[in-house]
Amino acid sequence: MKEGRIITVMLCFVLLYTLFAQGCSSTSGEQPKEPANTGFHFKDKLSDYGFFAGDLKQLKPQAALFHYELATPLFTDYAAKDRFILLPKGQAAKYSGAGLPEFPDSTIIIKNFAYINEQHEKVMIETRMLVKDPADHKWKVMDYLWNQEQTDAVKHITGAKIPITLLDDEGNKISTVYQVPNTNDCKRCHVSSGILTPIGPKARNLNFVATGDSENQLQHWASLGGITSLPALTEIAALPNWKDDKHFTLDQRARAYIDVNCAHCHNATGDASNTGLYLEYEQTDESHLGILKEPVSAGGGAGGMNYDIIPGDAQHSIFAYRMNSAEPGTAMPELARTIIHKEGVKLIIDWINHMPKGKK
Amino acid sequence: MEKFRSYGASIVAVLLVAISSCNTATEKSNSGYTNTLSFSPGEESKISEALLSLKDSSVVELKAGNYKFDNLSIAQLKHIMLKGEGPDKTILDFSSQTQGGEGIRVTDVTGFNIEDIKLQNAKGDLIKVTKSRDVVFRNVHAVWDKSDSSSGGYALYPVMCKNVLLENCYVQGSSDAGIYVGQTDSAVVRNCKGFRNVAGCEIENTTNAEVYGNEFWGNCAGFLVFDLPTLSKRGGHVKAHDNNIHDNNERNFAKAGSFGTTWGVGNAAPGSGVIILAASDIELYNNQIVNNNSGAILLASGLVTDDSALNKINDNYFPISKNIFIHDNTLQMGDAFPAPALEHHMGKMLVGIEQALNMMDTTRKNKRIPLILYDGISTNIITGGQSANPDSLCIKQTGDNVFVNADMLHIQDQKNWKPNIVIDPFVCK
Repeated sequence: MKEGRIITVMLCFVLLYTLFAQGCSSTSGEQPKEPANTGFHFKDKLSDYGFFAGDLKQLKPQAALFHYELATPLFTDYAAKDRFILLPKGQAAKYSGAGLPEFPDSTIIIKNFAYINEQHEKVMIETRMLVKDPADHKWKVMDYLWNQEQTDAVKHITGAKIPITLLDDEGNKISTVYQVPNTNDCKRCHVSSGILTPIGPKARNLNFVATGDSENQLQHWASLGGITSLPALTEIAALPNWKDDKHFTLDQRARAYIDVNCAHCHNATGDASNTGLYLEYEQTDESHLGILKEPVSAGGGAGGMNYDIIPGDAQHSIFAYRMNSAEPGTAMPELARTIIHKEGVKLIIDWINHMPKGKK
Repeated sequence: MEKFRSYGASIVAVLLVAISSCNTATEKSNSGYTNTLSFSPGEESKISEALLSLKDSSVVELKAGNYKFDNLSIAQLKHIMLKGEGPDKTILDFSSQTQGGEGIRVTDVTGFNIEDIKLQNAKGDLIKVTKSRDVVFRNVHAVWDKSDSSSGGYALYPVMCKNVLLENCYVQGSSDAGIYVGQTDSAVVRNCKGFRNVAGCEIENTTNAEVYGNEFWGNCAGFLVFDLPTLSKRGGHVKAHDNNIHDNNERNFAKAGSFGTTWGVGNAAPGSGVIILAASDIELYNNQIVNNNSGAILLASGLVTDDSALNKINDNYFPISKNIFIHDNTLQMGDAFPAPALEHHMGKMLVGIEQALNMMDTTRKNKRIPLILYDGISTNIITGGQSANPDSLCIKQTGDNVFVNADMLHIQDQKNWKPNIVIDPFVCK
């Protein structure tokens, strides 16, 4: 059974790769004046890539695509997300510790955003793409905006505001204006020390058994040949699932949540490095974590409060206040959401309220 | 004598304007840029797209008129200029901002100029330039119509940059500092004006800054030099001279001020001319600091606002100022504290100091609080030393009622609190 699957995988891979390679050469053929460039060119439409079989909207992956989930995901207005990695034929990512694997040139990471409407239908909004360009070995970003007819998504760099009425995790109706990022917005979260980089598929955030699966996701990916040099699972860090209070403590879940939702900017080399608030999972310095730390440039965003976190007192902690706002200038994260993540806010409030008072 | 000084200052200011306008003239040509893009009002979506697709060495010209944007961003480029036809003609309005922290965001650009343009009414900051080099703001007006806590924090906001010049700019309505230079090395702020902000201008954790020829008035506080803990770098080596810092007596409308804050600009007492907080190697000279009616110059350690400041000492932070050189400024104060100072936690403290001095020494005959206030917290509290001036303060100012050592360390302990006006140890030798 499994072998059959792998053979199908490989066949499809070859097919897809051929399609892909042709696409590239025809693009360069259309622009004879451009000097020979082996670099990657983003195609105009999502369908041009042939990532998916059949009805595009079903996102039924061609076998070469690795579909993955994250132990703890980023919140984006209760969007339903589908994530895929496409590795170049015959190549694999290389395990490189708890963080991002080393991806080969021409790797494509695809993330689709949809919402659930009042009729409980999945409505596609946008597909984001990160490509490691073989020309300069740097990651490039692009966004594809789904059309009204939901038949295809078209390259779109300027961002968009899309009025939607969605159902949240509890089935409550929420109306908002969803914000599709522009390509500079993408860079804000995806830049570390000035270099564009993926965020999501860190080994520690892939290292779990996804709902409905029987096998650990990293191990499964290794068995498909997608990742090499993987040590024993017990030696690989695992990011807690922020919702799983059976296996993880409140502190672990909260730290996992803020790692994924905040630390891409709030670290010493990220976009918010000027703030001194560093929230990556490994961070141990209490001041950097916000505990009795005064804000620096929050201005009115601080809501008139003194500290990012006052242990035991979430009500007077800027951290919770900013997560519990949707106002520009106050809301954190600044991008990627227009509504409040109630469940996330609750987790952080609980976390702060359970910190021993006078901790420091 | 004082009159002479003020003439001197104006002559210098005029000269500076003359020199800088020469510079502006020679640099005005766009010829140094490979690409020129030109837009008119109504083409906002084209402009947003152009900025996202910009190539190195491009000038983006915005013709006269009103433009409406949610927000704009420019990232990871070299040699970029955004240029209007004048701040009274090319106006960018951000009142419809729905996401992000600022109207315009510039990240990781080497060689960024913004010139001859007005930015107004963003929800967050008006323009933030971060992690960039060789940055010029020239003849930019950055304004909120309303001066209240609903306005964004900073109007012009370069942070974590290298080589920044702000000149001939005007800022108004910021709920923090109008001009704010943070965590930057090498900055010049000259011939700018700041009105009706919480602070006209702030230099924070920034090294090698020179601030001259500016006018800051009608704010809560005129000019601040701050060092704060937990940041990427320590500030210091700041010179401020030939500025006109006057009539800063408005209320502190920083949102942070509403909750007995321990940090930031919320601590600036209404009526403050210049505040130096925990910053070292500062020289203040030839400034007009007049009619800031709670204090002309306030020199405070980080301990005044933060009890745990000593625990935060590291390579990037030291809470007690050293090497402060204050000389040849024109200092004057009005007859009474401004009303908003009586409502502010730091303002009340200053009122208390004035009252205490006058009670202790009736020969003062109800004089005002002295022009220069020093919190009196020296490195002696760390070393256990007894030296009268261990941190090399040096004050050379003529006139009467110039100085108070407020002994802030003991202000909560009335019995041992000994504010005094003994300036001798701090007079330049």
